Amino acid sequence: MQLLLEQLTNGLTIGSFYALVAMGYSMVYGVMKLINFAHGDFFTLGSYLGYTILVIGSGWVTRTFGLWGGIALAILGAMLGLALGGLLVERVAYRPVYKAGRLPLVVSALGASIFISNGIMAVWGPRFQAYPQTGIPSGTLRLFGEIYIPDIKLVTLLVSLTLMAVIYFIVEKTLFGAAVRATALDRETATLMGINFRSIILFVFSVGPALGALAGVFAGLNYSRIIFNMGWGYGLKAFTATIIGGIGNIPGAMVGGLLLGLLESLFEGFVSGAWKNVFVFLILIVILIVRPTGLIGEKVAEKV
Amino acid sequence: MKRIPGVILVLVLTLSLALAACQPKPAEPQTIQIGLQAPLTGDFAAEGQWAVQSVEVAKELLNKKGGVLGKQIEIIVADDASNPKDSALAAQKLISQGLKAVIASYGSSVTAPAADLYDANKVVSVGYGCTAVRLTMEKQRPYFFRTSGRDDTQSEFFAKFAVEVLGAKRIAIMHDNQDYGRGVAEDAKKFLQPYIDAGQVELVYYDAITPGESDYSAVVSQIKEINPDVWFFTAYYPEAALLLKQARQAGYTGLFVGNNSVPTPEFEKIAGIDVIKGSIHLNEPMPQFLNYPESIEFMEAYKAKYNELPGSIWAVYAADALNALAAAIQKAGALDPDAIAQTMRTMTDVKGITGPLMFTERGDRKNIPYYAYIYNDQGQLELYYPK
Repeated sequence: MQLLLEQLTNGLTIGSFYALVAMGYSMVYGVMKLINFAHGDFFTLGSYLGYTILVIGSGWVTRTFGLWGGIALAILGAMLGLALGGLLVERVAYRPVYKAGRLPLVVSALGASIFISNGIMAVWGPRFQAYPQTGIPSGTLRLFGEIYIPDIKLVTLLVSLTLMAVIYFIVEKTLFGAAVRATALDRETATLMGINFRSIILFVFSVGPALGALAGVFAGLNYSRIIFNMGWGYGLKAFTATIIGGIGNIPGAMVGGLLLGLLESLFEGFVSGAWKNVFVFLILIVILIVRPTGLIGEKVAEKV
Repeated sequence: MKRIPGVILVLVLTLSLALAACQPKPAEPQTIQIGLQAPLTGDFAAEGQWAVQSVEVAKELLNKKGGVLGKQIEIIVADDASNPKDSALAAQKLISQGLKAVIASYGSSVTAPAADLYDANKVVSVGYGCTAVRLTMEKQRPYFFRTSGRDDTQSEFFAKFAVEVLGAKRIAIMHDNQDYGRGVAEDAKKFLQPYIDAGQVELVYYDAITPGESDYSAVVSQIKEINPDVWFFTAYYPEAALLLKQARQAGYTGLFVGNNSVPTPEFEKIAGIDVIKGSIHLNEPMPQFLNYPESIEFMEAYKAKYNELPGSIWAVYAADALNALAAAIQKAGALDPDAIAQTMRTMTDVKGITGPLMFTERGDRKNIPYYAYIYNDQGQLELYYPK
């Protein structure tokens, strides 16, 4: 029982990373029908920005604003940086080729991905970097005597779930959200109805990367080890989560991410760690066979 | 556009071939060139960098003493990016430059494809951080040697150490499903078997993790539930650091024993002092504990140049790979692969930084001792056994 509870918390934490990154994939896909390969690298870049904020002046931010103040600043800085970065990438790499069709767009996305990850390697070096021990909370919450949950894990979970709720509210309950969904359904008609396509693009290319950056900083705070190519692994998993949930569908990405994290943890904890990825991708295949549009994919499926 | 008639094409091709054949032969190089294949990027980038620095220092020391065969030594570096695919490319690159002797490489699965290529092209290669048994025992590679030890030595040491010194009753063994880690784990299990049969000890966990991930909390919860006396981890430092950190956060208080690729500065940096203190690590003699005259000379030169000691023993083995090659070339009297390989097998009087450089018929280093080190409260390694 205790083991099960622990594995559930583990799964939810990993799942919230996947969900945050997956939401960015899904937003961009929904609006532009583009699989944004650079998204995993937004995650990495966010992580490195947070790292830089925490290590400048050998922990000046933490000393001045306190442990949690430092973390909040690292998160805000990284999210802001990546919101701007996302818009820049859209302007430089995607907008010029947007009219050329989907294939050039995908190639351009791959190019952006390689550019960002090699840029990170050039600036911060090819070796592992570690988030400073002084900037990371080391406390642990003990529940029912035997269940240990590190503070940072709890914060990760709470912040991620709150943000997901906020995004869910914006996308599903507001007029602007309706515009985003309408654009995802049919861009031409939505534009004809007076929806400003550029403002939608602005939204997905600033919020998506910012969510990725948040996940990146949390990954650094949780595991301290970061490396320039880590976005690839997270990106792949998050993309899988997007597919599981139904690509283009934002609540679907959240559900897919959390579900993927839970499945991984439970399988690894109770069956075998070595076979984890085999199992996860087997599930993906099964879901694609049974529900080709993903778990919550009906809305997108309406479109022919 | 008009097509170029075939006859002219053939003529041009023949002519250019003939011209190429007439090119004067490149002049005999004025230096003794030795290759160094190292992981400069990828997961083991730190090891690669230390290896390059160590070999550089060893080269300078040798050159100061007059070099080899009266010529200065020149090192040509190729990056194998910590993976087998790029390893083959790096090997091709060094082979195509006409090298006869190379130092290659760190990591057993990375070294294997390169060793095959070097062997097929009659290039003597000396590994420095590849300890899988199969590299020398699965098939004979006449031109392959290694200055590092072999995994089964470590596994044998572990079984004896865990049961007889630590008095463990319940042991967990965790590997990463890669060549090196799985090899150590399998051998450790094999050497534990007599103790298990005698009812002295129980193997309570034997499984693998997926390398390259960040969150191991699922495995860690499992370890905590099983609560072994000794948790032996047989793979590399990035995963070891995360596992141990997450295990301590989850409330596991048992003893963590790492194998020889765990205790590095990177491990200390990622996990932090609070996490690593009290953990024990098996290793071939670590750089700071070497006390041969050759080691002291090397460490002083290294410190003067880089203001620190080499981060791991493997980098020092890379330096010793150069020492062994230089000695063998000197003794053989020529840069001839067959003569060098033959000399490597028979030489008995060459002193390296890590002790005498002697090799078996199959290319393994002779007489590598093993030690257990423990991190003290200041996060520094101390000798634990045998004292």
